[in-house]
Amino acid sequence: MPADPVYLDHAATTPVREEVFEAMKPFYGPRFGNPSSTHRWGREARAALDEARERVGRCLGARPDEICFTSGGTEADNLAILGSWRALKKQGRRAVVATPIEHKAILGAVHQAALEGAEERFLAMTPDGVIDRGSFDALVDDQVAVVSTMWVNNEIGTVQPVPELAAIAKERGAMVHTDAVQAFGKVKIDARSQKFDFLTISGHKFGAPKGIGALFIRRGTHLEPLMHGGQQDRGRRPGTENVAAAVGLARAAELTIAECEAHCERLRKLRDRLQAGILAKVPDAIVHGRNAERAPHILNISVPGTDSESLLMALDLRGIAASGGSACQSGSTSPSHVLSAIGVRPDLASAAVRMSLGALTTDRCIDRVIEVFPVLVAKARQLTAAE
Amino acid sequence: MSRERVLVAMSGGVDSSVAAALLIEQGYDVVGATMKLFCHGEDVPDRPCCSLDSVNDARRVCEQLGIPHYVLNLESRFGHDVVDNFVEEYARGRTPIPCVRCNTFTKFRDFLKKGDAIDARWIATGHYARVVDGELRRGVDENKDQTYFLWGIDRAVLARMILPVGDLDKAQTRAAAHAMGLEVIAEKPESQEICFVPDGDYARILEQRLPADAPALSRGPIVTSNGRIVGEHNGFARYTVGQRRGLPGGFSAPMYVIAIRPEQRAVVIGNRDELLGNGLVAREVNWLVDQPPVGARVSVRVRHRAALTSAEIIRLDDQEIEIALDDPIAAITPGQSVVFYEADRVLGGGFIEAARQPGRNLPVLAA
Repeated sequence: MPADPVYLDHAATTPVREEVFEAMKPFYGPRFGNPSSTHRWGREARAALDEARERVGRCLGARPDEICFTSGGTEADNLAILGSWRALKKQGRRAVVATPIEHKAILGAVHQAALEGAEERFLAMTPDGVIDRGSFDALVDDQVAVVSTMWVNNEIGTVQPVPELAAIAKERGAMVHTDAVQAFGKVKIDARSQKFDFLTISGHKFGAPKGIGALFIRRGTHLEPLMHGGQQDRGRRPGTENVAAAVGLARAAELTIAECEAHCERLRKLRDRLQAGILAKVPDAIVHGRNAERAPHILNISVPGTDSESLLMALDLRGIAASGGSACQSGSTSPSHVLSAIGVRPDLASAAVRMSLGALTTDRCIDRVIEVFPVLVAKARQLTAAE
Repeated sequence: MSRERVLVAMSGGVDSSVAAALLIEQGYDVVGATMKLFCHGEDVPDRPCCSLDSVNDARRVCEQLGIPHYVLNLESRFGHDVVDNFVEEYARGRTPIPCVRCNTFTKFRDFLKKGDAIDARWIATGHYARVVDGELRRGVDENKDQTYFLWGIDRAVLARMILPVGDLDKAQTRAAAHAMGLEVIAEKPESQEICFVPDGDYARILEQRLPADAPALSRGPIVTSNGRIVGEHNGFARYTVGQRRGLPGGFSAPMYVIAIRPEQRAVVIGNRDELLGNGLVAREVNWLVDQPPVGARVSVRVRHRAALTSAEIIRLDDQEIEIALDDPIAAITPGQSVVFYEADRVLGGGFIEAARQPGRNLPVLAA
C-alpha cells in the first residue's frame, strides 16, 4: 500500500467519528440495560434511547415518535415501501411508483410489492438523471399507493426536487417516501414544512456505525410492520433496540447538521476542482449528471475507451479508492443500472468511475487524483488502441 | 529496484492458490484475481450466482496471503468466445473443447490485458505445465499435465507467463498448500467438469441455448457405416465419437459412435476397427515454436491424457495441417484438439477437422 492512501468512496461508507464512538461507549459498558426493562438499568438505557429519538427528530424537523430506528437504509426503505403498500392495498390503491435510478433496496422492495400484486410504475428520467415531470404527472394518479423518489442519487449525485414532488403526490392521495441516505447533511431536510410521509437515513454514510438507520414516519401514517414480535417502537419495529447505535446515530446526525454548510462548501470546492482538473487533462471525459443540480460530494465520470474494472484496480493498487457500478454479490462490477436508466451508452456506463468525497478528503487527495487518474486513463486508452 | 508485479488467475482451487503463495515466496509483487465467467442465475441452487463459492475461496486465500484480490467480470467475452462456440460446435455435430478456447482467449488474452492495466510484467496460473526458455513444456506430473489445453495461446505470451506448479506433482502441491497454511483449499477436490456446465449435463446447456426444433436436438436415424438404419436417436448433439452408451444392441461386436453426419441428422455407428483413424486433418493451427516443415516427425496427442503417438506432417498450408499416424488411434473426434510435441516441448496444435481412416483417402468425418 502506498504511503499516502486516498479514500474517495464516502458514498459507500464513512469512518465512525471519534465523538460518535465516545458517545456510544457507555452503552457497551455500564449502561448496558434493556430499554424495555422497568428497573434502573432499563431506565438508564430507555432515557438514552428516548433522547436519541428526540435528537434525530430535531435533525429532521420531526417529532420523536416519528423516528423509527432500523438496521440501516435497506430496512428503512423496505419498511416504507412494503409497509405502506401492504397497508394501502386494502383500500384499493394498487400501484407503486419509483424512479429507475433508486438504490437496489427500493427496487427490490418495489419488485416484492409487484409479486404481491402491485402494479410497478417507473418514472422516466432526463439524460441528466432528473425525473421527467411529464412522466411524474402521468404516472402519479389516484391509483397510486406509494411513490418513492430518492433525494440524492448515490451514483451520480443528482438531486430530485423532492419537496415539490411530494406536495404534488400528496394532492393525489399517494403516500410519499424519499430515500435520503445520500441527501442527509447535503440538502435542507425539514419534515415540518415538507410533505413526504417517509424518509430514510443511514448512519454509516455520515460518521455513525454500520447497522443503524432510521425511517421518519409521519404521525398518523398507517404502516404494516415487516417483523412481528414485541411492542418496541410502537410495534413498528419489534426487537430489543440497539441503544448504543441509536445514540451514535443521534450524535453523528447532530454533528452533521451543525457542520452542514461549511462541510458542503468545502466538498463542493474540492469536487469542482477535481472535476476541472480531470477535464483539463482528459477533455473528452463525460461527467454524468453535469447539467443537473448535484450534491457536492459525488463525481461520476466516464472516459471513452477505458473500462472501470481495470481503472479501479489500477487506482486501488496506487492507494486510491473509488467505485464503479453497483457491486454484484461476487464483488465483480456490472454496468450501473442508474447510468443505463438515464440512457448512457453501455461502453460509457461500463467505464464509469464514481469518486465520492467526505471528511477524509483533503486538497492533497485531490492533487494526487488529478495527477494519477489521467495517467491511468492514457495507459488504458493505449491498451484499447492496441487491440 | 521495485519487485515485479504478477497478476495471478485464482480459481479458489489448490493449484492457483499454491501458485500465488509460491510467487510471494519468490519475492514477486502478487495481485490475485478471480474471473467471473458465467452466471447460472437461480437455476442451480447449490451453485449460487457467479460461482460465488470459488470467488469466496480465492478471496479467503488472498486475505490469508495478504495480497489484494479482485473479481474481474469477463462474462460477456467468455460467453461469446467460449460458451457460444461450445453450443455452435455441438450444433455442427462436433465435440468442442472449451478449455482450449478459454485459455487462448479468456485467460491468456483478456485476463492478460487486465494485467497490462495494472502494469503487471507477468501473468500466472495454476496450470500443470512449464515455460522454459520461452517454450511451453509438459508439466513434471505426467498425470496432471495440462498442455493439451494450452496449445492455442499467442506465442508472444509465453514471455510473460509463469506457471509455478508445473514443476510439482499434485501431491507436492497439496503438501505445499498445507505447509503454507492454506487449509481452506488444500484438500479441495479436483474439478474435472467443464466449469459452466452444471453437473456435467451439457445437453441441458444446449437445450437452453438452441431453439427447441434445432436439428442437433431433434430425432434422427442411427445408421451403420454401410447406411443401414438400425435405430433412432434423440438429437445427435447428445452423442460423441467413441461413445457406446445409448446405442441399439443386437450386434455381434461392441458398437461405437464412429461419426456424426449433421446434414442427415445421422449418428453413424460401427465396430472397434471402424473407430480407428490413421491420420487426421486439423484447422486453426497455432505454433508455439517456429513452424516445422512438411515431413517433420512429431508426437501427437488427440485427447487429454491419451498416450502420445508418433506421426509425420504430410501437408501444411495456411488453412490446414494433415498428419499421418504411425499407428492408428481410436476415436479421433472432430472439435477436439490435436497437440504436437517433441519430447516434452509443445510445438503447437489445432482443432481436429476430420480423421483419416485406413483404406480411405477422403476425410469421412468432415462436418
